[in-house]
Amino acid sequence: MAEQDFEVREHSHAELEVISVVGEIDLATAPQLRTVLDRVLDAGAVSLIVDLSGTTFIDSTALGVLIGAWKRTQNEGRSMSVVASDPRILRVFEITGLTDLFPLHGTLDEAMAS
Amino acid sequence: MSEVIELTMPVDPDLLMVVRFTAAAIAARAEFDLEEVEDLRLAVDELCVSLIRNRDGGRLALCFTRDDDQVDVTCRFVPNASDPPKREALDELSLSLSLQIIDALVDEHGLGGPDDPETSWLRKRRAHATA
Repeated sequence: MAEQDFEVREHSHAELEVISVVGEIDLATAPQLRTVLDRVLDAGAVSLIVDLSGTTFIDSTALGVLIGAWKRTQNEGRSMSVVASDPRILRVFEITGLTDLFPLHGTLDEAMAS
Repeated sequence: MSEVIELTMPVDPDLLMVVRFTAAAIAARAEFDLEEVEDLRLAVDELCVSLIRNRDGGRLALCFTRDDDQVDVTCRFVPNASDPPKREALDELSLSLSLQIIDALVDEHGLGGPDDPETSWLRKRRAHATA
C-alpha cells in the first residue's frame, strides 16, 4: 500500500549521484532505498546526496538505511550528505542526534554547491 | 469518557500506513495540535516497528484508548498458533533509534518488558489539556 506513492529517483552528475526519495520511508519502503544506495555505491559513486525534499515521513528504519550508507561512504573515502527541509523530517534527525552526523542541507542546490 | 478503538491486522509492513492513519485520526479526535498528531503518528509507527521488525507471520493487535486529554496505545504481537514464527537477530541500532524517537515523542512508554516481551505501550497527553 505504502509503495504506491513511493519512488526513488536517481540523477547522475559526473561522479555525484543524487538520490531523491518521494513519499514515506518506513519498514515497507526502506529496503527499496537501501537497494538503490547499495547499487550506486557499488557502481563507484564518489559523492552521494540523498534528497529528502519530497519525503513526507521517515522512521527509525529509514535512519538505519541512511546510517548504513553513510558508514560505507566514510569507510571508503567517499562523501554523503542529506537534503531535508520539512520540519517533520528534520525533527527525527534532531531527536536521534543525527544532525551532528550527516551534513544536512536545506536545498539540493545548497548541497551540490558545498 | 473513554473511547476504545481496536485494530488487528496481519504482520505486513505495507499495513503500517493504516496504523499511522488510525493514530493520526485518534489524535485529532483527542484535539491534539498538529505537532502532537505527528508525534503520535510517528511514535505508534515506531511502537509497531519495534515489535515486528525481522518478523515473518503473526498478527499485530493494537488498542487505542482516548480519554479527555490523553491517548494510550497498546500494541501486541500475536504469533500464529500453528506456525510460531521465529525472529531473526534484532537490529540493535534500529531498536535504539526506535527507543530514542518514542522517548522524545510521548509522555510514558514501555517496550517489550521481560514479563511480556511481545507487548509494548505508550501514553501521550495533550499539551494544553483542559482542567
